[in-house]
Amino acid sequence: MLAVSFLQWWYSRGWGIYFRGFRERLSNIADFFSIGLLVKTLFQPFKQVSADETGERGGLQGSLVAFFDRLLSRIIGFIVRTGLIIFGIISMIITFVMGLALAIVWPCIPILPVAGIIISVTGLSF
Amino acid sequence: MGAKYSTFSMRSVEARADKILNSTLVKALLVISFITLIAFGGALLFFHYSIGWMVIGFAAIPFEFLIWAKYELKEIPIGRNNTINDLLSNECLARLGSHPTPQSIVTWFYKTRSGNFLAIRYSITPRMLEAITKDMPEDITPIFEKAIEIREKTESEVVSGGVLAVAIIECRPDCEQILKSMKLELSDLYDGLLWFNYLSGLVKGMRKRRHTGGFARDLMFGYTPLLQNYTVNISRQHETTRGGNVSISLHREQIQQMIDIFSKGGRQNVALIGPDGCGRSTIVNEFASEILNADNKISSQIKYRQIFKLDAAALISSASERGEMETLMNRILNEAYYAKNVILWLENAELFFEEGTGSIDISNVLLPILENGAVRVILTMDQQKFLEISSRKAALANALNKIMIEPADEEATIKVMQDRVPLLEDKFGVIYTFWSLRESYRLSERYVHDLVMPGRAISLLESAGNFPIDGYITDASVQQAIEKTVGVKMQSSTDEEDKSRLLNMEELIHKRLIGQDMAVRAVSDALRRAAAGVRNENRPIGTFLFLGPTGVGKTELAKAISEVYFGGEGTIIRIDLNEYVSADDVQRLIADGATDELSLTAQVMKHPFSVVLLDEIEKAHPLVLTTLLQLLDEGILRDVKNREVSFRDTIVVATSNAGANSIRDYIDQGLDTSKIKEQLTNDLISSGEFKPEFLNRFDEICIFQPLSKEALLSIVDLIIASTNKTLEPRKITVSLEPEAKTLLVEHGYDPKLGARPMRRIVSKTVENIVARAVLSGEADSGASITITPDMIQAALD
Repeated sequence: MLAVSFLQWWYSRGWGIYFRGFRERLSNIADFFSIGLLVKTLFQPFKQVSADETGERGGLQGSLVAFFDRLLSRIIGFIVRTGLIIFGIISMIITFVMGLALAIVWPCIPILPVAGIIISVTGLSF
Repeated sequence: MGAKYSTFSMRSVEARADKILNSTLVKALLVISFITLIAFGGALLFFHYSIGWMVIGFAAIPFEFLIWAKYELKEIPIGRNNTINDLLSNECLARLGSHPTPQSIVTWFYKTRSGNFLAIRYSITPRMLEAITKDMPEDITPIFEKAIEIREKTESEVVSGGVLAVAIIECRPDCEQILKSMKLELSDLYDGLLWFNYLSGLVKGMRKRRHTGGFARDLMFGYTPLLQNYTVNISRQHETTRGGNVSISLHREQIQQMIDIFSKGGRQNVALIGPDGCGRSTIVNEFASEILNADNKISSQIKYRQIFKLDAAALISSASERGEMETLMNRILNEAYYAKNVILWLENAELFFEEGTGSIDISNVLLPILENGAVRVILTMDQQKFLEISSRKAALANALNKIMIEPADEEATIKVMQDRVPLLEDKFGVIYTFWSLRESYRLSERYVHDLVMPGRAISLLESAGNFPIDGYITDASVQQAIEKTVGVKMQSSTDEEDKSRLLNMEELIHKRLIGQDMAVRAVSDALRRAAAGVRNENRPIGTFLFLGPTGVGKTELAKAISEVYFGGEGTIIRIDLNEYVSADDVQRLIADGATDELSLTAQVMKHPFSVVLLDEIEKAHPLVLTTLLQLLDEGILRDVKNREVSFRDTIVVATSNAGANSIRDYIDQGLDTSKIKEQLTNDLISSGEFKPEFLNRFDEICIFQPLSKEALLSIVDLIIASTNKTLEPRKITVSLEPEAKTLLVEHGYDPKLGARPMRRIVSKTVENIVARAVLSGEADSGASITITPDMIQAALD
């Protein structure tokens, strides 16, 4: 009775729990890298550096300095964010692929002992 | 049928499997066998033995068990039907056995988490339950039925050990009686289950990782070097933990209001206004936590904003001059503006708007910011202080979005305390019982005056953490905390002492007061009624008006009550109302203890268990008497700071000479005391000396009769006893011949002044005689002086 209950769980709720965990892992990575937010703010100045220089010198020269400061800051911000986006996407792809592979392997796990016996009998070895 | 238990149900079997598989030993064995099988199989394959595949295949078995035990068996989901088999918790199912009885449940219920919770916090112990249960299998079905009902009422996920314990008690026909003996009600136990469920929910929530915005959040916002020096970033504390951890349901509305204000256009500021202790800082902390949570659906305008609490002390130490301060504040506000993600929090904001030496006033700098909303600002301040600032700086007050915070009621306060208990238990290494929470509320309401609920109850609960009794914080710990931290002396006499004192009250009072039997009886009866629990808890213990001529023992009776009821004359608070003859004197009566420690409210704050003697009440200004009405009626008086001062543990005695002449006349006319009282009350009302609503507030109006010569003879005895007590160190005793006493009474009796001249006469005669005898060497140590009428006469001449 217990064995039946176990198998029933493994192929129904158990698999569901695995997928939920898988989704949560992906969501944690997404939050850690916050790719959505990085994309939204891709061209924002890096850490708002230069923003507080605006207008301090006044006049055209001041505005120009502020503009170029801001531009430089935006370029640095863009580079840092793009790097993070790429790194985040790679991490998510790796997690996704591994998770998916394990999800496919999941239903096979209970039959591994039997599979092991069959493979052993066939005499397969390195 | 739903309550029919079966030990062979699938959940029962799984629960037993859980008990085995989730034990540390079995789990360790499973992990070891998994690793060993993988390693051994790998080694076999390495050496070209195909049997290695089989060994590796078998490694899946311990792995599957581990997964199953962790994700399914640890918390077996409840079944689809509403039967006891579907609803019982794992912990119960694994322990119930094939033929459970109420008594068998008692042997293990406290080993379950909820059962243990009730056992230690509500004293629902195995011994207590054992005494009310039988080993009868047929008794179990009604208990299960009741347990299903309780689970629904308390919204418990499962029928746990705690639910079963409550069901066992509730199934008893004498349930109320049993709980009463433990100072509990059934609703308290239901509340205990809700408390347990709430804490379990918190623990589960804490296991989940919080999403707080990741890398992108901090990249969006600017550097804040200046703010690092002059502020504390409270949002950082909420990134990894739940921080303040207080049930936000209590402040849900205010937090939502804050989110709404900051999400929309307009003035980007919030002023949280409420008395100290109402939870202003808690709201800001919860708000910080809410806007940091990436999973919350709130406007991006406000999401991930960080709250920086401005440190007034750091500001003052860096910029003491007004000009410097304004420059520094401008720089801070500039940095906050350019950082984009800063919400400045001015805690105790009144500190930033004070005028005068040694204070700071940044209103000129802050006002434009508050009006144009360039920087988001939160101000928290006391209600009274806000009113003061409003009167001085109307523009500032008008620029604020005000959110008023009201003090919490009892239910909410208990909930907040329940929420705080885990933190306090962790801090002090103790366990708080349910009674400690209830007592904290009760006592703090009476004796903690500077805060409102829930702050005042929490502060007391926290103080009680220093007074554990065998590792537990009980109601006695809270009482100790009140005594030690607030300085309030709680009564410590035993029940037996109390009872005997109350039963023999008249006798004890008459040890120092002669005569006035009717008044003594009336007072004693009233105090006995109060002690027997018949009294209204929301009034003083007793309120008495003593009417009679001077020198007949009114004040003496008040002192005697103080000595007998509270155990000492030190517990008498005497206010001479002839010093309160103008309307302005009301302020003096209720003055703050910091400015006038002798005000009535200040003295009662310090000594709540006292006799309050309001002498010569007829001379007080009518406004003073009106002020006292609330005291007499509700046992509460508000001081100048609007703090409620409790008089509910005091005995209020008001004395008056009003109608003294009438009393003598009525006695001469031969009226009995009750008639005199009625007549006199009417006279006092019709003459306008007292208003009827004032006289009606007293529990008893006691008429004091003029003293007779017989009574004065006894008073002479009392005075001589007192003289002997004074002479005790010299081992000299004084006695009077009966004729000498009569002579003293003849000279000391004055119908208008009562017993007052008596003491003067004794001092003039007896004490002088003794003094001469001592100085002349006639009376040495161990001497006994007998005073004759001649000696008295000589002394008088």
